[in-house]
Amino acid sequence: MRDGIRIARRGVPSVSLVTDEFWPQGDFVARSVGMPDAPRVRLPHPVAGTGVERMALVAGDIAQAIIDQLKG
Amino acid sequence: MTTLEATNEYEALEQLHALGCTDGLPVVIPTADRVERMVLATGLDPDMSLGTMGPNQGDCTVEKLAAAAVMAGCLPDHAPVVVAAARAVIDPRFDLTEMQATTHAIAPLIIVNGPARDWCGLHGGFGALGPGYRANASIGRALRLAMINVGGGRSGTSDMALLGHPGKFTMCLGEDEDNSPFVPMHQMLGHDPNDSVVTVVGVDAPQSVICVTDADDPTTPDRMLGSLATALSSVTTNNAALRHGQAAVALNPDHAAVFAEAGHDLVSVRDAIVERAQVSGAALAQSAGVMGKIDPDRSYDCFERPEDLLVFVAGGGGLYSVVFPSWCAGPHRNRAVTVPIEVGQACEIPAFVNLRSEHL
Repeated sequence: MRDGIRIARRGVPSVSLVTDEFWPQGDFVARSVGMPDAPRVRLPHPVAGTGVERMALVAGDIAQAIIDQLKG
Repeated sequence: MTTLEATNEYEALEQLHALGCTDGLPVVIPTADRVERMVLATGLDPDMSLGTMGPNQGDCTVEKLAAAAVMAGCLPDHAPVVVAAARAVIDPRFDLTEMQATTHAIAPLIIVNGPARDWCGLHGGFGALGPGYRANASIGRALRLAMINVGGGRSGTSDMALLGHPGKFTMCLGEDEDNSPFVPMHQMLGHDPNDSVVTVVGVDAPQSVICVTDADDPTTPDRMLGSLATALSSVTTNNAALRHGQAAVALNPDHAAVFAEAGHDLVSVRDAIVERAQVSGAALAQSAGVMGKIDPDRSYDCFERPEDLLVFVAGGGGLYSVVFPSWCAGPHRNRAVTVPIEVGQACEIPAFVNLRSEHL
């Protein structure tokens, strides 16, 4: 979340990817660094360690959401 | 029970601190009416003895335990859980007297299963053993305050833990049954899943075990079992140096899911960890923790029986599960004890509706 906000502050469009379990923490970090509406997309939890096939499915599910966020 | 007098709550608190009746933190003053209400919540007679707590061999009456619960900040809803936890540590198999007095760093870990988790608000997820959860914090603290004031466990005189560990303030959680792919631990121990049950085990501070999962690697579950077993069989732990004691493992839900996906259940996970938890005689012989003669040409089982390892699901999902090594000493090698939580004896006390915010 913090990385995405730092990148955004450099003028580069960014979207943070946050899993369900860490969504409240994402909200907290976004508020705490002064960008509560920082763009983010919700992922199921867990993603790490779930295998290439599963990660490809998740990526397929969220790709459009990422594009939409970047287009504003 | 001794009655103290003070002109106000601040003076009462200072008096309790001066008498060594606290854990060093402020307590709720156990006034007569607060203790009486907590006793009512147990559904038991105030003079009823739950047994003796060592090393002081103090008579743990319901009233004294209720005073500890008030001091710890418990709600009346927590009282039956505190009673069950006290009964567990009083059981001779727990070796409370020796555990309180040892130089080792060991403290009771309270694991709650069943519907009591819900009515108490016991947390089993992210940070369940950390700050922020009232039921977890106050129930564990109530047991500690009873161990101090009834059992007489005071640091430097009767509690000789060389350094201690933070879990000696409080260490209580609910198993995260809702996010576990397995049957709850108390069902594995032979209880009905709808029963509310407390399991208490004396353990070291929790030790984080990193397990990076990879669904594309079929060796992941075996490697996880190996890592957990290694953490429990390090020559630096009493489980390797003294052996044949008790220990516990808290699997986080992600790791539990990996095991379930591989066809494991809690019993097979437990058995596999115990089977792998061996220490080589050569490693022991070179360590500083050896007591007695060691054959460097053989290996030693850290656990005598699979039942000597508790396995449950708790914590947030992620890279880390946790092991709790133990002391492995005392007449019974500090066994885990499981006690049902009795709630049928408690009567309905309408006044409790207002106690939470106005009095406690």
